[in-house]
Amino acid sequence: MAGSPMLKLLVSLPLDLLRGLYRFVHRLSTNKPGFVGFLGLLLYFFVTFIMPDFVEFDNEPKLDQIAGPIGSRIQLAVHRDNPQWDSLEALAGKTVGVVDQTGGPSFIEPWRDTLAIEKYRWTSRRQGPGIPAALTDLANKEIDGLLIFSKTVNQVIVEQEDAELRQLFQDNVIISNSTLGPPHLLGTDTQGRDIASHMVHGGQILILTALIGGVIATMIALFFGSLSALAGGFIDKFFTALANLFLAIPQFILLVVLAGIIRFDSTLYLGVIIGLLIWPALLRAIRAQVLSLRERDFVEAARSLGLSMNHIIFREILPNMSSYVLINLIFSITIAMYFQIGLVVLGLAPISDYTWGVMIYFGRSRGTLYNPDGASMALSPVLAIALFQVCLVLFARAVEEVFDPRLRSAG
Amino acid sequence: MLHDQQPLATDQQPPAPNLSLMTARLYDPLLKVYRNYTARVFLQAIITIWVVMTLTFVLVRLMPGNPVDVLVEQILTAEGISYQEAYDRIAASFNIDKDATPLDQYLQWLGDLLRLDLGTSITSPGTKVIDEIARFLPWTVFAVGTGLLISFVLGIFAGMPMAYYRGSKLDHILSFFSSFSTGVPNYIWGLLIIIGPGISWRWFDIGALRGTYDVGLTPGVNAEFILSALEHAALPVFTYIIAILGTWMLSMKSSTTGVLNEDYVNVAEARGLKERTVISSYVGRNAALPLFTQLTISIGFVLSSGVVVEEIFVYWGIGHLLFQSITVRDYTTLQGVVLLLTAVIVFSNLFADLTYGLLDPRVRVSGEK
Repeated sequence: MAGSPMLKLLVSLPLDLLRGLYRFVHRLSTNKPGFVGFLGLLLYFFVTFIMPDFVEFDNEPKLDQIAGPIGSRIQLAVHRDNPQWDSLEALAGKTVGVVDQTGGPSFIEPWRDTLAIEKYRWTSRRQGPGIPAALTDLANKEIDGLLIFSKTVNQVIVEQEDAELRQLFQDNVIISNSTLGPPHLLGTDTQGRDIASHMVHGGQILILTALIGGVIATMIALFFGSLSALAGGFIDKFFTALANLFLAIPQFILLVVLAGIIRFDSTLYLGVIIGLLIWPALLRAIRAQVLSLRERDFVEAARSLGLSMNHIIFREILPNMSSYVLINLIFSITIAMYFQIGLVVLGLAPISDYTWGVMIYFGRSRGTLYNPDGASMALSPVLAIALFQVCLVLFARAVEEVFDPRLRSAG
Repeated sequence: MLHDQQPLATDQQPPAPNLSLMTARLYDPLLKVYRNYTARVFLQAIITIWVVMTLTFVLVRLMPGNPVDVLVEQILTAEGISYQEAYDRIAASFNIDKDATPLDQYLQWLGDLLRLDLGTSITSPGTKVIDEIARFLPWTVFAVGTGLLISFVLGIFAGMPMAYYRGSKLDHILSFFSSFSTGVPNYIWGLLIIIGPGISWRWFDIGALRGTYDVGLTPGVNAEFILSALEHAALPVFTYIIAILGTWMLSMKSSTTGVLNEDYVNVAEARGLKERTVISSYVGRNAALPLFTQLTISIGFVLSSGVVVEEIFVYWGIGHLLFQSITVRDYTTLQGVVLLLTAVIVFSNLFADLTYGLLDPRVRVSGEK
């Protein structure tokens, strides 16, 4: 018997939450850009928080895939006389060459029993004797196939300085299968590692850090902002002056200086620092909002009814501010994102976690940014960050427009 | 906002009665200064700058590693001499007194500042910090100023139709653009410009656009130099424009929306004034007023957020100097740059506070009630 109200609550609470969520999404769907932003954020959540469990982080350097373009795959090179050998199955019993420190050895591993494997050593960065030697052997039919990355084949053949060798390769070597192995959806980085897997793994920490920064800033601003608006007097003056003082400091530059002092062991720690830096503007906004709400009729009514201050704050003022607070939270998340990635791009933040920001940093410092084939290493995280920010802004605008037209016109 | 305009009452209540006459006499002029709005705002500005200065002084000295160590590391590996030898050599070439306590340094620095002397760089002795700043700052001011002004004008002209045709296709498209503009960080815009038009489509040669002007040209008033400087500034300026434009568009839109509901606009329309007159003289001017305050306030923000953009385009402005001085732990230069940027922010806010009443007489009236 005693359990029945409890049971009721257990059943009704999730239902209420679901209903609330449904209403929220339903109302949001009237605002098309905002809905797109909302779906985008869901997608980001899925990719960065759920997909890492299914996609492995590619941490194995492979020399032949240096900054491969989008969609790069391993290729099979054979002699011109045998174009029918277009898969490893067709090559059963034959000799296949692979070059060490490339994608080849790990790819050929499952066929170890059916094929004879000839290993070549990769020596110099691009045109070491390894690949030319392997191609020469292939052209002379000493091996029957060669596993190699498309870009390297082209480089070795087309840019071959030795005219005789170049002629030999062009006359004898063809690519029988250019779609071996998994495609690198976003290409590979300077070490031949799959960028797509880095993209999946590189967002979570960034988003969490931004979230921590945003939540801390919003909490500080919400607490002290409403306190100073409601208490007035000295407290109000003190916090307003403090906020103004902080606002006068160039915050990003202060963060840059701080980054030199504090050794951020973890990126998340950076979020806390950012949160402690960006609250002042928020505090002013929330203080103004509380001040304006305080003068509204329904608050006046509650006050004249003699309801307690607690009631007025928690039942009248705060619920009416929820969407405003949400909007401010979202905007402070975008600022936190701006700050932390700016720091990483400058090379002043920890690069131990391989985040999107670190990808941009390496993309710049290793020069792939300036190479059209390898641009994906910097372009993918750049686009990911840009779209994430846009989704946030679209969502915040929609919340502003759909849920709070009154607040907006009053602001 | 400006509750200063109240006339100073001569019979102000005296300070607390338990104070002696002497303290009261000391206290009185201070009180008078406090009651005068302009003086108070100035005082606040000075205090803010002092607090930030002190904070920077402390923070900079808390940084791990010091300029001597940074250089000692370098020559240790290069020349293979003992640590003490290297240390002495570097310390001797530096412009520092090793025995001075931080407090001495602080007082010395404050004293020098009063004479507008920012000191000399620690890592390159003989170079005055103020000269370094004077060498780098103009480029930043030029790039940021141009970007800010162009985006401001564009934003005003794009924001008005957004308010006029609210809910139309035009409004939606421009709003959508403004979400991109405000959401995407400015350095991300910069990277996109480098990757897209710069590298993939080869519209221009990024490598040649590094620095602030072509190497080998002598700065001066000649066509070649000016053209080269403009060329080098084009990409940062364009980045600033895109990244700030959205904010102006939205501000102008909401400001115009507010003005459109005002009675005087209705009256002007009812009087049968030409639509163009109403738009430009009644709506536009009134709506743009509050934006001027925002413009002055945003100067500081854009100046400081340009650090990453300058680093990305390798544009040698104040951000570059700041970044350099952090990497080599050049305390004095770092302090000088942060102080300067803070001063710019504080004084632009001050300027906004003081001039807003002049620009918009209504503020004065409403402040007096």
